[in-house]
Amino acid sequence: MTTPTKTEAPRPPATTLSGRLKSRFFPNPWSGAVSIILTPLLIYLGYRTLLFVFVNARWDAVSRNLTLFMQGTYPRDQQWRLVVQVLLLALALGVGTGTGSAAARDRAEEAGLAYSPPSVLGTLRRFWSLIAFVLILLFMTGTPVPWITAAGVVVAGLLGWQAFRLPRRLRMAGWLVTLLLLFAGFQVVSGTVGAAWVPMGVIAAVALWKTTPEKRFALRMTLLLKVGLAVGALASVRALYLAFPLVGVGWDNWSGFHLTLWWSAIVIVLSFPFGLLLALARRSSLPALRYLSTSYIELIRGVPLITLLFMGQFMLGFLLPVGSSLSRISRSIAAGTMFTSAYVAEIVRGGLQSLPAGQTEAGQALGMGSTAIMRKIVLPQALRAVIPAMVGQFISLFKDSSLLFILNLVEFLGVRGLVHAQADFRVVGHAETLVFVALGYWAFAFAMSRESQRLERRLGVGVR
Amino acid sequence: MLRGLGQVAAVFAVLGLFWWLGSNLTANLARQNLGTDFGFMTRPTQFTIPYHSEFLPRSPVWEMVLVGVKNTFLAGLVGVVLATVVGLLVGVWRLSQNWLLARMATLFVETFRNIPPLVIIIFFGAAIFTFGPLPILREAVELQLPWTSDTFLILSNDQWGIPGFKGRSGVAAYLGILGTGLVVGAILWIWRTRVNERTGAPHHRVAWLFGAVLVTAVVGYLALGEPVAIDWPALTENRRRIASGFSMNFGFMALTVALGLYTASHIAEIFRGSILAVPKGQTEAASALALSGFQRYRFVVLPQALRIALPPIINQYLNLVKNTSLGIAVAYAEITALTQTSIGNGRPAVQSIIVLMGVYLSFSLVISVILNVVNRRLQLAVR
Repeated sequence: MTTPTKTEAPRPPATTLSGRLKSRFFPNPWSGAVSIILTPLLIYLGYRTLLFVFVNARWDAVSRNLTLFMQGTYPRDQQWRLVVQVLLLALALGVGTGTGSAAARDRAEEAGLAYSPPSVLGTLRRFWSLIAFVLILLFMTGTPVPWITAAGVVVAGLLGWQAFRLPRRLRMAGWLVTLLLLFAGFQVVSGTVGAAWVPMGVIAAVALWKTTPEKRFALRMTLLLKVGLAVGALASVRALYLAFPLVGVGWDNWSGFHLTLWWSAIVIVLSFPFGLLLALARRSSLPALRYLSTSYIELIRGVPLITLLFMGQFMLGFLLPVGSSLSRISRSIAAGTMFTSAYVAEIVRGGLQSLPAGQTEAGQALGMGSTAIMRKIVLPQALRAVIPAMVGQFISLFKDSSLLFILNLVEFLGVRGLVHAQADFRVVGHAETLVFVALGYWAFAFAMSRESQRLERRLGVGVR
Repeated sequence: MLRGLGQVAAVFAVLGLFWWLGSNLTANLARQNLGTDFGFMTRPTQFTIPYHSEFLPRSPVWEMVLVGVKNTFLAGLVGVVLATVVGLLVGVWRLSQNWLLARMATLFVETFRNIPPLVIIIFFGAAIFTFGPLPILREAVELQLPWTSDTFLILSNDQWGIPGFKGRSGVAAYLGILGTGLVVGAILWIWRTRVNERTGAPHHRVAWLFGAVLVTAVVGYLALGEPVAIDWPALTENRRRIASGFSMNFGFMALTVALGLYTASHIAEIFRGSILAVPKGQTEAASALALSGFQRYRFVVLPQALRIALPPIINQYLNLVKNTSLGIAVAYAEITALTQTSIGNGRPAVQSIIVLMGVYLSFSLVISVILNVVNRRLQLAVR
């Protein structure tokens, strides 16, 4: 207890190599001792890892089953659907991020700030884990299709990114095209099965509504005309579908990584409206609504997801009208939505609570009604603030999708069961396939968690 | 008026939904001749549970539930201890000045945090045990203490044996004495705290508590004539199972280690964040008061960091307990796995799932009560 400790004294920045080494490995004697013990240990561990990866591992358990891991038991003669879907999704991603960047540029211009668009190198760095995973996949395959698809994805993504150059009044159109492309991707795989054309119609109608100035009667009339045309177009698309059934494969027969990704995406999208309603009910001034919503949220958050999935499998059939039935995947989606809604509700509630009361009061001072305040002032800000947390919830859901394996559904982890049922891999390759599956989950979850942190910084949430 | 009507409408809508679901349920159950009562709880399960030789096929379902609850609790407890210890260490290591240590801790956190716990559990279960390098139980490795004939560790790919305790005569009295020692220790703790608050003298309450417990333990042990003894693990004659000592099956080990490490990666992040969240002025003020590095950590930074960290850490404990339900993947006989087996054996699904959810809800309730108590204590300490 003599002088304030030396460790706090500002260190001169180490410029020489030896100085840098010293500050990293020998900042003080204790730390030096730790380095001396750790170095041989790490060298040994690294040696064992390299030995496993490059010498001992039987990677053929993975490389000979890559198609199975990625698309599961999706019919091989329908594979083109998956390729087209991947290209459409890449295009959607390109248009979406391009429009998003353009919107950010608009905001920066309005605020009089400099805007630098994201660089190619920066994007590659941000998603390095995903890119590494895809490269590993590509180098493991022996067929040209994945390489061609990957090249197509890059081209489609870059084409979509050109939405960045579109003029400002087409911004909304950019978003809607993104959504349409996403639905189209879904539709290509599932064919006429499912009713994806309904949401497509809704999007088209909203698109027409939003792109038209909505004040005058004449404009409204033209708008109605446009909506009518859109509905007519959709109906004819539907009629075309029925006339020439492009029979795809509905989600009941999806499996592999394809199922993992879509399951998580479908569940989070379905959970959002329910979660939003639950959050609003929990914050409502009506006690009955509040109690109902609170008890639902706390009940669901108190039990593990697997019990809800069991409930979906064993109990849901009893709760539906006599004679009706849902497929196993639909039931798991229902159970996942029940589960995730409660968590989304808590996230949205956090966003609502983070908003200062002054925002609502300002709305009241302007004479706005409570619905208008909620819709125009509170929700836009609150929902923007919860984007990082929602991404976090999506990561958690993506990881939880592995529980479908326990229900004997063949998602990414469940494919291992098929692989190890093959005569060649009954006892060998168990660790290898697990490492591969873990790498797949890791690459996506890591990239998304980095993105979530970046969004958090950019939105300035959590800055103290 | 409108608000009242809205509420009534909402309540009626929910009630109507429940009525609809309920009527569907009873109609479906009646159609399949299934009951809606819980009478099955007292009927025999008609199956055995691996590693639980005391559980017979004629044991009733409620006994199975008890076995499951016990195993869930055990896995949760061991997992929580493991997660806390590893999490705190890794959290502090990530902030270490040592580049190697910090990078290793980061690697640990970023690896385990982004892999589904189920994959980690199966990895430990399959890669370490089932297909790992360990021998089968019949050829288990038995490690003996030097110069004795006592085995202290039995390693196999199925079960591990470690020393346990066995009670002799007078063990009940000894447990009573230990309890008394704990109570005396708690009283001494309160007394020392009061003395410290009154006079400012150092309290040394941890030393007092441990001293009291240790003294009663030793005195009781001698007075009752060795009421407990170490139970060394040993295989049975036919080497089919571990008869004595404390034996752990591979499901338990895979589950607790995997969940411990997965949750540790989250706890490490919480802990690191909390240490960073303590304002820098606090450290500087401590330096200005000429506190040493250790004292700054022990008396200024850590108490404040812990206050921020505790609620989310307890939330992670809750997640860990819920995640023990994944033990089903490595055939660990916790409540979810047993319920699934029981449904597969023809017990009514709806009632079984209600019991299962009730069990988890009670676990969650207990943990959230602890969380609330902790929160309240921390709040009082602040203001």
